[in-house]
Amino acid sequence: MSFVTALALGIVIFVAAPLLAHRLRRLRADERPFAAARLVPAAQPRARRRAKLEDRALFGVRALAIIALALLGASPLLRCSRLSLARSSGASIAVALVIDDSMSMRARAEGASSRLARAKEAAAELLAGTRDGDAIAIVLAGAPPRVALAPTTDIGAAAALVAAVPPSDRGTDLDGALRIAETLLGSLPQVDKRIVVLSDLADGQPDAPPLGETLHLPVWTPLGDIAKDAPDCAVITADDVGGRVRVHLACGKDASAAGRRVEVRLGGRVLGSALATAAPDVDIDLTAKDSADGERTAHLLGSDAIDTDDSAPVLVAGAGAIGVVAEAADETAVTGGPPVVEQALTALRTGLAVRPLPAVPDQSSDFAGLLGIVVDDPPGFTPEQRRAVGAYLDGGGVMLLALGARAASAPLGATLEPILSHPAAWVAATVKGVAANVPTDFLGEATRSLVDIGAARRTALTPEDVAQLEDLVPWSDGAPLIARKAPRNAGELYLTTLPFSLDASDFALRPAFVALLDAFVTTTRAHAAPRRTAVGATWLLPASATRVDGPSALGTPVPIDLVREGGRTKLVPPLIGAYHVHHGPDRDDLRVAMPVASEVDLRPRRIAKGADTSRLGATEAQVDVSSYVAVVLLALLLAEIVLRVRARATIARA
Amino acid sequence: MARRELGASFDWSSIASLRIRSRLVAEGAYAGAHRSARRGSGIEFGGHRQYIPGDDLRWLDRRALLRHGRLLVRQFETETDRALRLVVDASASMGYRGSRAKTTKLAYAALACAALARIAIASGDPVGLSYFGGDRSRPVAVTGGREGFDRIIGSLEDARPAGDAVRDPELLDRALGTLARAARRGSVIVVASDLLDLPAEAAERLAAIAARGRSVIVLQVLDPDEVDLPFDGTVRLRSLEGDVVVETDTAATRSRYLLALEQLQDLYRETLLARGGRLVCASTADDPVAIVRSVVTAVR
Repeated sequence: MSFVTALALGIVIFVAAPLLAHRLRRLRADERPFAAARLVPAAQPRARRRAKLEDRALFGVRALAIIALALLGASPLLRCSRLSLARSSGASIAVALVIDDSMSMRARAEGASSRLARAKEAAAELLAGTRDGDAIAIVLAGAPPRVALAPTTDIGAAAALVAAVPPSDRGTDLDGALRIAETLLGSLPQVDKRIVVLSDLADGQPDAPPLGETLHLPVWTPLGDIAKDAPDCAVITADDVGGRVRVHLACGKDASAAGRRVEVRLGGRVLGSALATAAPDVDIDLTAKDSADGERTAHLLGSDAIDTDDSAPVLVAGAGAIGVVAEAADETAVTGGPPVVEQALTALRTGLAVRPLPAVPDQSSDFAGLLGIVVDDPPGFTPEQRRAVGAYLDGGGVMLLALGARAASAPLGATLEPILSHPAAWVAATVKGVAANVPTDFLGEATRSLVDIGAARRTALTPEDVAQLEDLVPWSDGAPLIARKAPRNAGELYLTTLPFSLDASDFALRPAFVALLDAFVTTTRAHAAPRRTAVGATWLLPASATRVDGPSALGTPVPIDLVREGGRTKLVPPLIGAYHVHHGPDRDDLRVAMPVASEVDLRPRRIAKGADTSRLGATEAQVDVSSYVAVVLLALLLAEIVLRVRARATIARA
Repeated sequence: MARRELGASFDWSSIASLRIRSRLVAEGAYAGAHRSARRGSGIEFGGHRQYIPGDDLRWLDRRALLRHGRLLVRQFETETDRALRLVVDASASMGYRGSRAKTTKLAYAALACAALARIAIASGDPVGLSYFGGDRSRPVAVTGGREGFDRIIGSLEDARPAGDAVRDPELLDRALGTLARAARRGSVIVVASDLLDLPAEAAERLAAIAARGRSVIVLQVLDPDEVDLPFDGTVRLRSLEGDVVVETDTAATRSRYLLALEQLQDLYRETLLARGGRLVCASTADDPVAIVRSVVTAVR
């Protein structure tokens, strides 16, 4: 007989005693044989009638006492449906809670609450199960992933932070969040470390490698109940193109907006509407009947998993472009099309217009509307161009400059200032490509495509100029291949020592070239703060920005906290919708944060084997309710005493 | 009940002069000392009655026709024996004995029946005995004389209460069915029972035996507790047959019980009266001499 069995038997006897006493009290009436019993009418005994209420109350009290006693006895075995952390050795543990605050977490979980609310509830349950000495770190997985709470043993602070995690419309970066979480836990002294992912696992990559597969720490994903696909469609962009509004929709894999109506509204007035087609990714033209001033919004009617992404502000298209200065005629391989860099930028579908320029502008006004400029192998800059470029970079412009044979043979009076202080030389390439162990921080894995780059000649810079550059991707001999000029006020400059021409090298055919253009566009967006970016992207605002009002669920603009760093003003829009950037009492800009298209795909990503194992935690936690039960028992004892005193007084009066 | 108990508690001399007389004329092979109420082919003139077609013309009184101008037939009283058939309820309920009673209801009924048997045999009438229910309850065929009396006494001594008339409704039917077939015209049938656990149609069955010129006397034997329900406070009463359990406050329900008992007795009384029978109620605390006299009187 196990201890638990003996304990249970003891509890049974303990519990049965008052019940037996109660039954004995009820059986006071003697039973006797009586032949004429069938002629005797049954009648409630008078004493029983009198004591009926008291008996019921007493019985109720005793029944509750029995339940409380049983609960008290069973409290070591009592479990309830809640999350808890397993402890293999009983020692303290270090846990990183990765809470997904992306837009997909706005979808409704079972019941009325959102997935984020379920994740926060789970985090609170896990925190409630921690003990002294446990370290908790919290990482938010909405893109970009960020540390919400560095590892701490202050569970109260962690609980307060979890409760304050707001919903957002960011994209999802679970991989990045896991890497951050692993880094946070790496230096902690606890032996038992684990990462708990509280997410719906909908990061738009359902076919990507299983989550957490490459991590060294165990990963637990306990919220399988919210990791479910659900149909959702979103309004990604809405642009006013010459009086017509073009609404761009995106839907999940198995979802479709077909049959749902799209409306453009100004305030509460409907300016126009149309039905969406069956295609999951479709543009719909609407005719706005009224072009009156005001903030117009496009709405996708009907309901789906996420409601907040069914509307978007309407912007006037065409504001902002990337200028490209390239000589297509130089190339021997004439395709008849635009230069390769221009084609590559167009293929990237940046959402920004690509504007070919015959030459680098020599007036500052010509840079107006250019969010960035790509200059391929210019023959130096004239004095006017130098002033205009300097002013452009000082004003926050971004430039990608490729140096080649023409730059090295600049005509008299033309130099590469203000970018380089000394002339460049077009020399024979003594080495081939970049080193095999080249850093991949800037271009990622695409950097390795430059290992065997074929180039007969390259641009050589003077040591003084090289010292002014940040070498992002060096040749294998250490000379810069891709470099960045230290920020000049608000602007930024990227420089390559190979031109984009296919005659000079096959650089433009390498993935690294596309990665370079993508990095340039990203930087351009951040610096120039174009009028629309994906939510979660960093906006670098001019120093003149004094205040930003962001969207809110109630439609009332909410002031956004700005971060000022090195003379720049940064803003990461957490919600989709319109942001009003105020530059003073009379001037403001409208900027829009649009949803990340991958967030409408709610298919969960696969998880690594063992990520849902009960070895890391349980969904049924042991609960110690003995103190509460003891209080209840004392209250019941008091109630019984009161009832007995009352009953005695009643009998005495009778 | 022992023979000793019979002798000690019963004053035989006080009832020895009583004779069972029947109003009906017995029809049978015995020619005893009873005056038969039945008009028939006897010796002693018993009066006239209106002639009805089918009457034996031998008894047409021509003188009366001449005197009164009507057809009258002569009637005679017939001297015949009158068998006494005793039916004793020996079911479980008859084994009840309350604190105020000297004996069980079955013992009291046996005492009364023995006294009746003795009277009948002393008068030269044969006596038979049968039971419904009971353990070791041996019926005694109709016999006369001292030997018959001894056999009846022996059977009554051996009988023990047993059986459930509620669960076995045919218990009564079996006893009465045999009796209805075997009892001859003019027989006197005495049924001793508490009548408490008999089926609802028992009154009709008992009264039906009174057909064919038979006299039926039902002696209801109750315990003093059953007469007045003397219990105090709350009691749980379990019937001895039918397994009925009733929890009651006697102070509140005594009057209703007595009313129910009275209604039961009225039912038997009226049903029997309609067929010429009688109901005699007795308590085991009553003087058995008075009860036996009441039965004999009822027979008369």
